[in-house]
Amino acid sequence: MLLREVSYARPGTVEEAIELLAQNDGARALAGGQTLLNVMKQRAASPDVLVDLGRLDELRTISVSGTSLEIGAMTTLTSLIRSSEVEVTRPILAEVAATVADVQVRNRGTLGGNICVNDPTNHFPPLLVALDASMTIAGVGGERVVSAEEFFVGVFETTVQEGELLTKITVPAAGKGTGDGMSGVTLGAHGTYIANAAASVVDGTWRIALGCVGAVPVRATSAEKAFSGDVDDASARAAAKGVGATVDPPSDVHASAEYRRSLAETSIVRAVLQANERARG
Amino acid sequence: MTTTETETTTTPTIQKGFAGQSVPRKEDRRLVEGQGVFFDDVKRHGMGYLHFVRSPYPHARILSIDVAPALELPGVYGTLTGDEVAILTDPFFQIAAEPGGSMKDYALAVGKVRYVGEPVAAVVAETRELARDAAELVLVDYEPLDVVVDARRALDDDAPVLHEECGGNLTYEGVWEWGDVDQAFAEADHVVKISELHFDRFNSTPLELDGALAEYNRGTGQWTITTNNQFPGFAVIMMAPAMRVGTDKLRFVTQDIGGGFGNKITSHPQLVACCLLARKLNRPVQWTEWRTDFHQSMSHGNERWFLDTEVAVKADGTMTGFRTKALDDAGAYLRYEPLGGVIWSQVAAGMYGWRNIRLEFTQVVTNKAPCSPNRGYSRMQHLWFTERLADIVAQELGFDRVEVRKKNYVQPGQMPYETPNGCVYDSGDYPAALDLVLELIGYDTVEERRAEAASRGKLLGFGIGSTLDSGTNNFGQSQLINPDLQFSGNNEVATVKLDIFGEIVVTLGTTPQGQSHETTAAQVVADILGCDVDIVHVRAGHDSYWNSHAGFSGTYASQFAVTGLGAVKGATDMLADQMKTLASMVFQCPKEAIELADGFARIADNHEAALPFMALGAIPNANNAGFPVDPPPMNARFVYRPPFEVPDKERKFGNLTLTYSMQIHACVLEVDPETGVYELVDYAAVDDCGVRINPKIVEGQVMGATAHAIGAAMFESFTYDDEGNLLTPNFYDYHVPHTLDMPPLRTSAVESPSPFTPLGTKGMGEGGGGGIHAISAALQDALRAAGGAIVTDSHNPYHRVFEMLTHPDEARAKVEVSNR
Amino acid sequence: MTPTTSLFVKVSVNGEEYEREVPARRLLVHFIRDDLDLTGTHIGCDTGSCGACTVHLDGVPVKSCSVLAAQADGAEITTIEGLAGEEQTPLQRSFSEHHALQCGYCTPGMLMSATALLEQNPTPTEDEVKIALQGNICRCTGYWNIVEAVVAAGKGSA
Repeated sequence: MLLREVSYARPGTVEEAIELLAQNDGARALAGGQTLLNVMKQRAASPDVLVDLGRLDELRTISVSGTSLEIGAMTTLTSLIRSSEVEVTRPILAEVAATVADVQVRNRGTLGGNICVNDPTNHFPPLLVALDASMTIAGVGGERVVSAEEFFVGVFETTVQEGELLTKITVPAAGKGTGDGMSGVTLGAHGTYIANAAASVVDGTWRIALGCVGAVPVRATSAEKAFSGDVDDASARAAAKGVGATVDPPSDVHASAEYRRSLAETSIVRAVLQANERARG
Repeated sequence: MTTTETETTTTPTIQKGFAGQSVPRKEDRRLVEGQGVFFDDVKRHGMGYLHFVRSPYPHARILSIDVAPALELPGVYGTLTGDEVAILTDPFFQIAAEPGGSMKDYALAVGKVRYVGEPVAAVVAETRELARDAAELVLVDYEPLDVVVDARRALDDDAPVLHEECGGNLTYEGVWEWGDVDQAFAEADHVVKISELHFDRFNSTPLELDGALAEYNRGTGQWTITTNNQFPGFAVIMMAPAMRVGTDKLRFVTQDIGGGFGNKITSHPQLVACCLLARKLNRPVQWTEWRTDFHQSMSHGNERWFLDTEVAVKADGTMTGFRTKALDDAGAYLRYEPLGGVIWSQVAAGMYGWRNIRLEFTQVVTNKAPCSPNRGYSRMQHLWFTERLADIVAQELGFDRVEVRKKNYVQPGQMPYETPNGCVYDSGDYPAALDLVLELIGYDTVEERRAEAASRGKLLGFGIGSTLDSGTNNFGQSQLINPDLQFSGNNEVATVKLDIFGEIVVTLGTTPQGQSHETTAAQVVADILGCDVDIVHVRAGHDSYWNSHAGFSGTYASQFAVTGLGAVKGATDMLADQMKTLASMVFQCPKEAIELADGFARIADNHEAALPFMALGAIPNANNAGFPVDPPPMNARFVYRPPFEVPDKERKFGNLTLTYSMQIHACVLEVDPETGVYELVDYAAVDDCGVRINPKIVEGQVMGATAHAIGAAMFESFTYDDEGNLLTPNFYDYHVPHTLDMPPLRTSAVESPSPFTPLGTKGMGEGGGGGIHAISAALQDALRAAGGAIVTDSHNPYHRVFEMLTHPDEARAKVEVSNR
Repeated sequence: MTPTTSLFVKVSVNGEEYEREVPARRLLVHFIRDDLDLTGTHIGCDTGSCGACTVHLDGVPVKSCSVLAAQADGAEITTIEGLAGEEQTPLQRSFSEHHALQCGYCTPGMLMSATALLEQNPTPTEDEVKIALQGNICRCTGYWNIVEAVVAAGKGSA
């Protein structure tokens, strides 16, 4: 419950933040703190230095640029929910944000923080993989952009290196013929996911990502390729069948590996049907 | 969202003034303004903060402890280890006879650790953070030992032994048998066998954690312990002999407590550590438990297996008897156990009229957190068991689930009803209550709803959970598990006085954690004294200095409405008599001519001759000259004693509880057959707790009981891995219900006054787990359409339902029916 | 800029200004309870799950156990002690009228979450109230009376 001693700095610009992250060993960015501070309470991780991003308003913008929705990494989940840009261009982001935990957590928790933690049960990693999002990472040497799949590297691990900072998440705007869905099982309403799948169809091309079954979101590529033409309950089930056998989910107090495999398949079916309906509408 | 209708079956035995009304609570003002005083709110100059060093191993020898590195940290005031504790204190008194009675239990681990999270040493420092840091510096050298986690393995020949002095892991065993069980089975038309039923381990996770502020007065050798322990009577009995001091040296002070549910009864080991350190360091010492500490180390509810159960049933559906082997897992230490080994027998028959019962009770220790009472302590497990029997018998033998219950319930005409083991169910109409709950939930629409759910691909299930809440214990029950114990009966104390300005001041011996004692006590006092409830001041909380407590004082075991209010009534009756006597002295008339009404003591026939309370209070306090005899003191103390005998130890027979409240829950749920996920879509509960002093408060208790049952059935479990690690050590993995998890709820109340209590009330707080029973039944009902699995576990998270859906035969394999 | 293990923070709490030196690691809830002696805000867990510590930070409800005191530098905070003025708020009265509290430990957090809701949405539906209170655990009431109390306060029929 009580944190170890830590050093703290509050930069005023992204450049200052990057400098602090680069120059201090064991430094971590502090965004909303909803995960990081609770991890530090358990003393499961104890960074030596916290770089508080709280003053970096430049990371809080949401804008539409061409056919892309650009979301600053420090955008809170509440802001996502209230954003008219999000509602118009990719509403699934707001819908999913509204199911994360509770109001208090959403008021502080950020999209950037959620994905940088890359807890395998987090909502946004599989969703952003399904949406084919990309992440902009700034460092001392400049900026680089990676795909969502490249971004997530391992349990609690992303490709953001020491001395780097995630600044922006870019999501393609949904055009006609785009539909998104996300389905899964949580521990209680709006609770932690036990299993989930995010599905997105753009002009008949599917991207399906599974959360909770691996260190990083897993693309259900066999299912993605199984669709041609219209999607219905039967074809969705046929596509999902067997995907469970291709993943190696953990067993824990909430679900056995076998149960997660089954839930993964069921979640694919439901996410796909949801996405399909929205693509049609 | 909820509607409450009230049905009163008989005329209540007390006059309804404030009693019977939903008077607003006196507690609320300070609590809604954030001005409550919980123990952690109290600060003392120079106080030190305590952090426990806890064992990371489930079973290990302690080879050495080095506190020197911690002491070197600036701001650290001192430490305490098990070696010191073993010198300064004696082991805690054990309730158990042999073999459990040999167990040595101290404030800190001595020589060995026996569960993950067991306190091994304590560090006190200037700030909370420093104490936490210093605790990390304490070097403990452990030699890990083999672990026993599953109670069913604890008595194996090769099982690791937790307490060598006990010779094994057995703490208590006893055979409880009444009637003629063999004959019942010989005459049975059907025998239903269930190889295994399991009541899972969880508790009520009160939102406020345990803790204390211990201060030591060097001049008088007196400790003042500001804490939230909910049973100070028990705590001092355990602590004083261990600390080698008189009980008066331990002053307990509580004000507001953030929930107890029984889980705040066994903090005495930690309180001893606090006291020793307060004395050693000559400064107040404050301990705050954190959530993870609580989950790992405090107050788990009893996990109980019912093995090789057989139920004897007649062709017409009458259940004539059962036999079973109950295996109880007490965790690593006996802190209140093995009282659980007898307390279940308060409801040995459940709500049913069978006369032939045999239960072999075996209790063992395992390398898990020690158990302590948890809502419906030891009765809930057994009531779930009897309700499962009724439900499984009905289903397997093709009887209607409602008719089987009605037929087998103890009937209203039999009340007061003596059970096979001599307990007396005081009052109640169970069949009528069942009809009421069925009406509330719309039982006649269940099949229609089932079809509609099926059209959406869901399996609908309907279940009934009927249960009792036995309240006001006879502690003579302890002699049934240890004949050498000198405990019997029960008591509670209250004082009522008029102060010099006529203020009415009430003190209780209880330690409420939300049960509204200040309010209900004031209602009773106001009615007896004939005044407004607003001028009755009930002191908040508990303080040993008030001298309004006795050996059993506290708030636990569903008894306040009987013992606490019984004491309040007794004291107030005494005060009323004193007031009338004094008024009669002043007016020089017979006492019988005086009435107490409208805030006065007055001549009933002549309201002009009236004395306000201020006048009465002033006389003995400040103006007592000129009376030929002593004016009564306007100050009364009453000890309520329920009418109990010492039970018959040979036959294990006798009345163990004074009152029996009843709740019947009904729920409708929908199961997603593809995932095992289920949702409660409708819910109703009927409660009968005798006379209700404050109906809204009673309803609140029923709601709370419902929420706890839903949590226990769907989400909450203290699950361990095979290595003895708790997998649900905090709210991240131990999910408790939040607002969005709750179903719509309708409640109704029936009042069957108790013939045995001063006010016709019954203790009702805990609810006996009715919702757990109802959800077990509803799941089983839902699964009839998909494999017909039998529900044999009290805890049914989604993964277990999935198991039952995908492997129904494994669940069914536990049940076997044989017919004559 | 050099990171430091302690720093000065300036916060306004319930309309009063405070300036204190705090260790960087101090949680806002401990700052409120221990440094400022405002003990109405409670702690019920160690994973940011229970909401007993809910306060308003710059007008929005947050869990003060999941915010560093350092992060609150320059902020305006309202705690339970700051709700009632000369009189209790209609919501506080509604809680009492609807028996929305028993032990009272979750109550400050509940009131802070519910107050924030009513400021945003003066007449919420039952579902909207439940969502607003999803982050506040209660173990006594089962939530039904709490939801009723907030809905009633919203309708002005407290």
